[in-house]
Amino acid sequence: MPNDSSAIETHGITRDFDSRKGFLFREVTHTEALKGIDLTVERGAIFGLLGPNGAGKTTLTKILSTLLLPTQGQAFVLGHDVVRDADWLRPRMGLVLGGERGLYTRISARENLRYFADLYGIPRTDRERRIDEVLARVDLEEAADRRVEEYSRGMKQKLHLARGILHRPQILFLDEPTIGLDPKSARETRKLVRSLVADGVTIFLTTHYMFEAEELCPKLAVLSKGRIVAQDTVANLRHLVGGDRTLDVEAYGFDDRELDSLRHLPGVSRFLTEEFGPVSRVTLRMRTDELRVDQVHAALPNHPELMVRERRTSMEDVYLDLVEEEAR
Amino acid sequence: MATATVQYSRARSTYAALRLSVLQFLADPQWLVPSMIAPVVFALVSFELFRGAGPYFLTYAILGAGMMSMWGQTLYGSGWATGMDREFGTLEPTIQAPTPYLYVVVGRVLWNVISGLIGGGIVYVVIVIVAGGPPAVPNPVGFALLFVFVMVTLASVGVIFAAFYVYTRYAGFIQNIGEFAFYIGTGCMFPVVLLPFVTNPVSLAFPPTWGLDALRYLSIPGYQGFGWGFWGDLAGAVATTVVYLSVAGLVFQRVERHVLEEGNLSEY
Amino acid sequence: MATPLLAYRPSFWQTFWTNAVMAPRTSLGFMRVDFVLGTIFIVPLTQMVFFAFVVQLGGGGASEIAYTAVGNAVATVTYSSVFSVCQTTDSEKQQGTMEHLLVSPANRFALYFGRGLIPILISLATVAVGLTYAALIYGVSIPLAVFPTLIVSIVLTAFAMVGFGLLLGGVALYLRTSIILGNIFLFVGLLLSGVNFPLSSLPVPLQWAGDALPLTWGLAAIRAAVAGESLGSIAVLWGAVGIAAVASFGAAVGLWKVFERRALSTGSIARF
Repeated sequence: MPNDSSAIETHGITRDFDSRKGFLFREVTHTEALKGIDLTVERGAIFGLLGPNGAGKTTLTKILSTLLLPTQGQAFVLGHDVVRDADWLRPRMGLVLGGERGLYTRISARENLRYFADLYGIPRTDRERRIDEVLARVDLEEAADRRVEEYSRGMKQKLHLARGILHRPQILFLDEPTIGLDPKSARETRKLVRSLVADGVTIFLTTHYMFEAEELCPKLAVLSKGRIVAQDTVANLRHLVGGDRTLDVEAYGFDDRELDSLRHLPGVSRFLTEEFGPVSRVTLRMRTDELRVDQVHAALPNHPELMVRERRTSMEDVYLDLVEEEAR
Repeated sequence: MATATVQYSRARSTYAALRLSVLQFLADPQWLVPSMIAPVVFALVSFELFRGAGPYFLTYAILGAGMMSMWGQTLYGSGWATGMDREFGTLEPTIQAPTPYLYVVVGRVLWNVISGLIGGGIVYVVIVIVAGGPPAVPNPVGFALLFVFVMVTLASVGVIFAAFYVYTRYAGFIQNIGEFAFYIGTGCMFPVVLLPFVTNPVSLAFPPTWGLDALRYLSIPGYQGFGWGFWGDLAGAVATTVVYLSVAGLVFQRVERHVLEEGNLSEY
Repeated sequence: MATPLLAYRPSFWQTFWTNAVMAPRTSLGFMRVDFVLGTIFIVPLTQMVFFAFVVQLGGGGASEIAYTAVGNAVATVTYSSVFSVCQTTDSEKQQGTMEHLLVSPANRFALYFGRGLIPILISLATVAVGLTYAALIYGVSIPLAVFPTLIVSIVLTAFAMVGFGLLLGGVALYLRTSIILGNIFLFVGLLLSGVNFPLSSLPVPLQWAGDALPLTWGLAAIRAAVAGESLGSIAVLWGAVGIAAVASFGAAVGLWKVFERRALSTGSIARF
């Protein structure tokens, strides 16, 4: 049974796809898109799902939003089974898949919203006011009566969002909500997402943008190749990949002895090397604050060109570390 | 913005779908041309071919071509709209909405019935102009009432056909291939009794087959259709239509379950 | 050293071949072999049987039914030629690939002609299967001796019809879709091309309209070949079909240029 305080709870969700090719000699390709997902999302919070392309983010979003059945496992949203209680859940959830498709392009944004308002049973007396309200929230009032086919990609994205919140859902699934938006609109969208949470809406958000995940989501999960490789708060995830502090050390090539000395500096929890043409970069993830920059310079006396930069471990670092570790 | 949970209304959803169909039609009215050209062409071809069919050949031509027009509009049009939902990517949000998709389809079928009737009306006008006068119909009131009922029988099949479009993105293509087979099987242009006896059970599984046979009994004196006559046909039409409409909800439930299992809602 | 910047220009045959092989696969109708087989084997049969029953109900005898059978055997070519080609063009617009096609340096004639290759082959198969049904079911006599002239007639008809399909397909650049035109000509052909009854039974203006359709001439040539008419009389009809084919392909290329320009100026390429 699901926990009452959870907005989402999944137990061992798997999802397989078979694609068939050929006529006489049928070739079936089997793909395991999700391989046993266990996830818990608290009510009234924003939960971020990060992952590279093809990791299974959209598949999981569709299962949670009742648009796809899991092959195995159970998923509960607002305490209800997504398969058995889809009828109960649908009026209470919003879904924003985004992209160029998913809208009636030959009619206006207002007509699109009217149609879905009717399908969601929004009282007629409230309908127009509610449509005006969501159009204002996504800044589409002026274009509301233009045909959607005349919209830019960003405007379509905003309309997707408007449709998703039109019926005031208790939980909103946002699949890459700021993709295609200009920086100003993306910032406004993030503001809107925060205001929805303030209203008590639970948000399940998938994104590619690490800064967005970091800015919006107190809790995150990283999905890679159909598995959750980590699930925690941003701070704990940083700790998981080695620490809050990162040192980037750059020079024109390091020999093995120098790399070894860097690896064994005090407080280094994770050690990554990258090559950028003639420049080698060593990234040191620091567990503690004890190592100073001048100690790194001292460890590499033969590199007058040496550059050492200290920074906070970014969500992108965390993400790349986790995904690469899973790939290994 | 507080969250809210509202209840959908089936009638409102159906009306919304009907309204959307009208809006989409008005946004792109060029579809009027093929949907009107086809029945007119069938009317003129059948008018020419039925010249030797006795004094009621005009009624045969009008019934045949008019029915083909409405057949196409109601059956094909209903499925086509769902096919367009797939192409536009709007099938997913519509299925995700709390209203069962069946009621959206019913709204679209209503629109297709209306446009089918317009097509039938145009066929009538064209034939009357070409033939130089209207056909003799012995019982015009009964004919009109039964005509409307035949539209209902068509709509009942249209709803089930639309489920097929939800089921697979290939439905349109399969329907294209099977279009004439359906016209033959349901006897829209000629009585089904002309077909080999073994095919009759398949024909009788479709409500319009019965409805149209009844319509011919009513409008063509001496018509030789099924041996059970007008009332038998009418009873069969009512019974099969009731069966179709009763199973429609179940069919859509099963189809929706299938597409959610397959995950092919976004394919087009 | 920086990578040198290049400006490739594909050869005529490269463009032709890649369009012949690739383009049909982008259309749903060609994606599955069973559907292509359905078009070739089921459509001619059902359409022919349908109209044969209509003729029978109208009091027509064996010769009238045979006439209809041959007419519909050939008329079904419209599905695989006109209709399918229009569908391919529409599909490009819907998938958003039309812009990329137009921005490529590919030779337009090779591009459009290449797209017609598979539909031509399917059209040939459809007519052959249709005529076989006509012979087997309705006793239409097709002696071996007429095969050479019949084959030439069928090939010319298929070319002319695909050219006509490409011509209509070009309109899709400007309009939202060309399937509508495909639909119109699918049905108009049944009335104006002598499929179910001789053209002479129609009013004169409609006969003129029929004369403008390639199907009319192709069908006349095929009927003449089946009837074993002299090579001289068939050759005249071949000439007409050939002119229709050349005119269709030529007009298709010309119209594609015109509509390409119009579409670029109105931005209608992205609308469907």
